[in-house]
Amino acid sequence: MTIVQIDKENWESSIKKLFGAYRLFGPVKEADFHNFKQLEAGQLPDLSCLNTRLSPKSIIYPQTEVMFKYTLDENEEDHHILKEVDKDYSPQAVMGIRPCDAKAFELVRLNFDSPDYKDPYWLNAYTATTLVGLACESPCKTCFCTTAGCGPYHEEALDVLLIDHGDQYWAKVLSDKGDAFVTAAGWTDAVDEQPAIKEIETKKKTAEDKISAFVKTDNLRQVDTNELYNAKFWEEVSFSCINCGTCTYVCPTCWCFDIQDENRGSQGCRIRNWDSCMYPLFTLHGSGHNPRGTKLHRVRQRFMHKLKYYVDKYDAGIQCVGCGRCVRLCPVNIDIRRVCGYMNGHVASAEACEV
Amino acid sequence: MLGYIDKIKEVSKRLLEEGQVEMVIGFRKGTLSMMNEPHFARTPAEVQNFVWDSNCGINLCNYLTNRTEKIGILAKGCDSRNIVTHIIENKIKRDQIVIIGVPCKGMIDRRKMSSLFEGEIDDVIEDEHNITVKGAGFEKILNKKDVLQQNCAVCIHRNPVIYDERVADLVDEQTDIDRYADVREIEALSAQEKAAYFEKLLEPCIRCYACRNACPLCYCPTCFTDESRPQWVGKGQDTTDVSTFHFLRAYHCAGRCTDCGACERSCPVGINMRVFTKKLEKDCLELFGWEAGLDPDVRPPLDTYKPGDPDDFIK
Amino acid sequence: MEHMGIEPGRLQFSWVSSAESTKFVQVVTEVTQAIKELGPNKTLVKSIPEVA
Repeated sequence: MTIVQIDKENWESSIKKLFGAYRLFGPVKEADFHNFKQLEAGQLPDLSCLNTRLSPKSIIYPQTEVMFKYTLDENEEDHHILKEVDKDYSPQAVMGIRPCDAKAFELVRLNFDSPDYKDPYWLNAYTATTLVGLACESPCKTCFCTTAGCGPYHEEALDVLLIDHGDQYWAKVLSDKGDAFVTAAGWTDAVDEQPAIKEIETKKKTAEDKISAFVKTDNLRQVDTNELYNAKFWEEVSFSCINCGTCTYVCPTCWCFDIQDENRGSQGCRIRNWDSCMYPLFTLHGSGHNPRGTKLHRVRQRFMHKLKYYVDKYDAGIQCVGCGRCVRLCPVNIDIRRVCGYMNGHVASAEACEV
Repeated sequence: MLGYIDKIKEVSKRLLEEGQVEMVIGFRKGTLSMMNEPHFARTPAEVQNFVWDSNCGINLCNYLTNRTEKIGILAKGCDSRNIVTHIIENKIKRDQIVIIGVPCKGMIDRRKMSSLFEGEIDDVIEDEHNITVKGAGFEKILNKKDVLQQNCAVCIHRNPVIYDERVADLVDEQTDIDRYADVREIEALSAQEKAAYFEKLLEPCIRCYACRNACPLCYCPTCFTDESRPQWVGKGQDTTDVSTFHFLRAYHCAGRCTDCGACERSCPVGINMRVFTKKLEKDCLELFGWEAGLDPDVRPPLDTYKPGDPDDFIK
Repeated sequence: MEHMGIEPGRLQFSWVSSAESTKFVQVVTEVTQAIKELGPNKTLVKSIPEVA
């Protein structure tokens, strides 16, 4: 593990070197807020951003992704056969990703890269990606990463951790991918490790102390699934929900998708789009029956999946990194921290929910 | 408006105690600044959670749809007009609801507020005219008038148009308001410029459907975007599909939209899709002299034929 | 339609009685000619998505 220093005055020139080796992504300010975008040659990632409006998950898992193409023209030899499409899986790097958003990829990986199923699209893109994180110095009021298995300096899922250090950035190399990235940027000026590690520890502590929101998750595994499912609070929790997909689409850990065929004339393609458990269509059966027919069902599903089913199935904590996007962007202010509190503190009761 | 809450609690409590209603729909304090959450009370005790301030912008009429209880509902001017529209469209019966009218002076635009400051806003304290905004390293007093939602700033129906109870004296309606300056700007563009303008406007859309779902008018059992046989509109991020969704949704609101601003307020990426519905609202006013939701006994223009209806478009 | 950015003239309404054959011919001729002059519509036309 090495830590190198980069003078901020050399920052721009070193980033320029990277464009040959990587497709670079970074926060870019558009209108009122930042989002991750592919940087044009010479464009710098805006590291002043608190956090992006949308999560960077679309870099690896686009909202709409073409999987196959086909032709329905029977004069063509290969008509009605799905053909793979060429994709660009050349190395790409995400600069300025927050440790929480990076950790989200680890959580999602449990789904897309399981012993039984490997999702080639996600996995190829993920393998091609180097995550260059930026330590968080000023967390938002809605951030609760430290109690969601993560933190402002969390290194787990990153290849490089950048730390703002006055006139310099420090880059802590955390993996082989990270090593290759640092080399490509020409960042070779190693700092004296021991004092640097000590200083990073202090900065980490300072940042963590700024986190003002917390969730309690210690009891989630023990709570009986059926009791939680039938708990009375779901009516109150779901009442204000309008069943839009905002929370799921802005969430870095939501992974559900829907597959569609789209034709134009005799040509067509099979695409997959993000889908959301908030939508009635998500579970509508061909028969017309919908096992999650009310919004209470759907709201409960979202929270049960993140805070109970996932916890039980993978034993890897909650399916949430505490980025706070769903809290900030929910049109009606449904707050996962409040719901997590209800769930974690649930005590079996005779009063069951009616739905 | 801040003084309303005692009266709101008193009326709600009475309605529940007397058994006139089974639930009252109002707001409880949100977990974020400038956010309150739609909430219900089923018992007189639960009424204590209700709040009222300038952060109650969500249209509560949306929460009436498909409920079977006898309901008491808080209604600002716009909410009440949507309730009227619900009654006209047979979505709810007048005698199923007790309308608690709330004369309104406009709701705060939380996005506009956030964009005024570099850092996060920690606290917002309001009095009758001013808003004190506090955050890390700043504290500023703003005139509430300057930070209203745009639809509130141009609102000419602040008072509820229909109510059974009222929590305060009626407020003065705004006059001499130019409601359609923004629409006229778009109308002046060429066809090509319009297409480009809308493409740019809708570029950030993630198709979460918050605009549709926050809208009290959008109660179709199956929205056209969710139809699969036939599939009217693709589900991906194709710009044609995205704009088709927005255009068609707006047209479905023609002659019904009250410009309550719920769609714009709910959008997570800050799209002002009201430019579509406002154009239709303006057309309805100019062509038919119609404003939606003012009278439950008058059929809307797109629902009726009159010999005098404009027909200049027929060649 | 115009407000959505479709050129004026692509959408036309005419009132033609079943007895007005001459008017019908005239309307169809005029409309097709006007549309041909505008050329293919490019607004709100979907194409097969490009692969990233």
